Amino acid sequence: MGRAITLVAGLILALLPMVMALSWEKQAENRLTAAELTPTHAPAVAVAQEANEQYCTPELKQILRRVLTSCGLIGGGGGRGCQPLEAKNVATMEGHDFNALFVPMKERGAIVQFERASSELDATSSALVDRVFADRAGASYFFVVARASQDGATEYNRKLSEQRAQAVMAHLHTAFEDASLDSQVGLLWLGEEYAQLDPSFCEWPRSGSAERCSADDLNRSAFLAWIECRL
Amino acid sequence: MPHAFLLVALIGSALGFTFAAVSSYDFIAHLDRQVHGLHCSFLPGLGGTEAGESGCHTTMMSPYSSVLRDSVWGGVPITLPAMAVFAFLLFWGILIWQSPRVHDTRATGFFTIASLLPVVASLGMATIAIRELDAFCKLCVGIYVASTMTAVGAFGSYLRAQRTAHEASRPNLSRGALGLAFGLGCLVVLTSAAAYALSAPDFTRFVGSCGKLDKPADPQHALITIGRGSPTVLEVLDPLCPSCRAFEKRFARLELSKRARRELLLFPLDNSCNWMVDRALHPGACAVSEALLCAGDRVQEVLAWAFEEQDTIVAEERAQAGSAGQLARRKFPFLASCLGSSKARAKLNASLRWAVANKLPVLTPQLYADGTRLCDADTDLGLDYMITRLSGVR
Repeated sequence: MGRAITLVAGLILALLPMVMALSWEKQAENRLTAAELTPTHAPAVAVAQEANEQYCTPELKQILRRVLTSCGLIGGGGGRGCQPLEAKNVATMEGHDFNALFVPMKERGAIVQFERASSELDATSSALVDRVFADRAGASYFFVVARASQDGATEYNRKLSEQRAQAVMAHLHTAFEDASLDSQVGLLWLGEEYAQLDPSFCEWPRSGSAERCSADDLNRSAFLAWIECRL
Repeated sequence: MPHAFLLVALIGSALGFTFAAVSSYDFIAHLDRQVHGLHCSFLPGLGGTEAGESGCHTTMMSPYSSVLRDSVWGGVPITLPAMAVFAFLLFWGILIWQSPRVHDTRATGFFTIASLLPVVASLGMATIAIRELDAFCKLCVGIYVASTMTAVGAFGSYLRAQRTAHEASRPNLSRGALGLAFGLGCLVVLTSAAAYALSAPDFTRFVGSCGKLDKPADPQHALITIGRGSPTVLEVLDPLCPSCRAFEKRFARLELSKRARRELLLFPLDNSCNWMVDRALHPGACAVSEALLCAGDRVQEVLAWAFEEQDTIVAEERAQAGSAGQLARRKFPFLASCLGSSKARAKLNASLRWAVANKLPVLTPQLYADGTRLCDADTDLGLDYMITRLSGVR
């Protein structure tokens, strides 16, 4: 009797670990197969993408796309920067409407002010450019819109505003050594002819002192802003 | 009824078998690549399952919970041979009781020697739990106690047999019979492990099934590189994410981690720098990420500190914004000029933009071996198995 019990116990105990493990393994495999066949209802994980702020209305995006394409930032056409008349043509809007596009970007933008007839960035202006550019977050494009005040010849002012835009670009290259700058930074130089800034822009972050905010002071400038729109 | 010592040994063996069986069940349940709670209790199978971090979870996810992890997804759980050993000890105890061989010094001596195997294994595992894992699982403690009970009972049976040997009505077991028993024990252990390994589900269909990097090039040096070997293993991490810390520990124990070229992509889940999350899941993660980007050659030191002090950093940042940066500066004064600078912020932004360019999921941790993503379900038990296949070792 004792021998029979021992024999049966031995047989059961010898096989038990293997049988149990294989059974659990099979159950897990069945669940695995079932899970593969069952469509998942788990919420999809978000995918990393650029920011798209509320102000990015379809109208704004359309205009941005036109400006960026025309100025050579998307689509691969044209070269860097837009001439004043081109900007006006692609934007197909009045100057104050063009400026109004940038108003929602106040928290992400700034106005770098220059001395009269100068395109040189002083230390305060350089620091402001650095600060605004470093705060890119999820924005796709950095706009530099340079202007000139209305004193002086139109052609001279056009050239001067281009130099101001290029001065900002050169500083960015030096400060950030970023190979992809050319595909991120859109330069527009408007001279004195189009979209002059009005005194409401005095409230924006500026490199000039509080007193330097006449119409001429404001437009001897380069306007900087990150555009947080997915185009 | 068996005598008291034998009874203790039989109960110890049965308990050991039960604890090992529950632990094996919990382990094997994970072969479905889903998340399960564990029966982490001193009453095996009677307590409910526990989800999340626990001593049992830490132990099970550690590389010490199984063997052959490179060959079998998750490896062969060491509790499976433990089940077989306890089953054999239980069988031998029954044999001594029923045969009867309670006066047989050879049978009881063999019982004592065999019962030392789980004791030695328990001592080894307990040492690992204290020194390496800093975690004790209740089921493991149950196995340690059961092993001790079995060994004490077996040794008591042997001493008793020595005292009562003159009462024996039959001769001691022959050496040949003992050799046969030893062979049988080994066979039981090996067949259970081999059968498990051979019938494991086929996981090769999941290799590379979770996507690849779209644009692995890094012209802006957004990635932090550690080491120069092969394969290239990219970790997407948030230095204040607890899962990343746990993953780092698991990854560091892999042999592969010593020879791989490691790349880190910082992806802080903190909306003060990351526009892809709507709140700070890990407050202070942006500042600590900047610290890592500023650390240069000392990046591993800063990362180790961030993982070590994770809870403190998050708590202090919650209490007072800016504390994470201050803690980093206090610990590593050489970071002071870089941390919070425009360059550091731009560099961190470049990391996030690299994630955008590659359309990475917004979660951490993630791991890519030579550009192929390791599925989330494979970041714990299946890590060794999958990573060796993703990196082309197999």
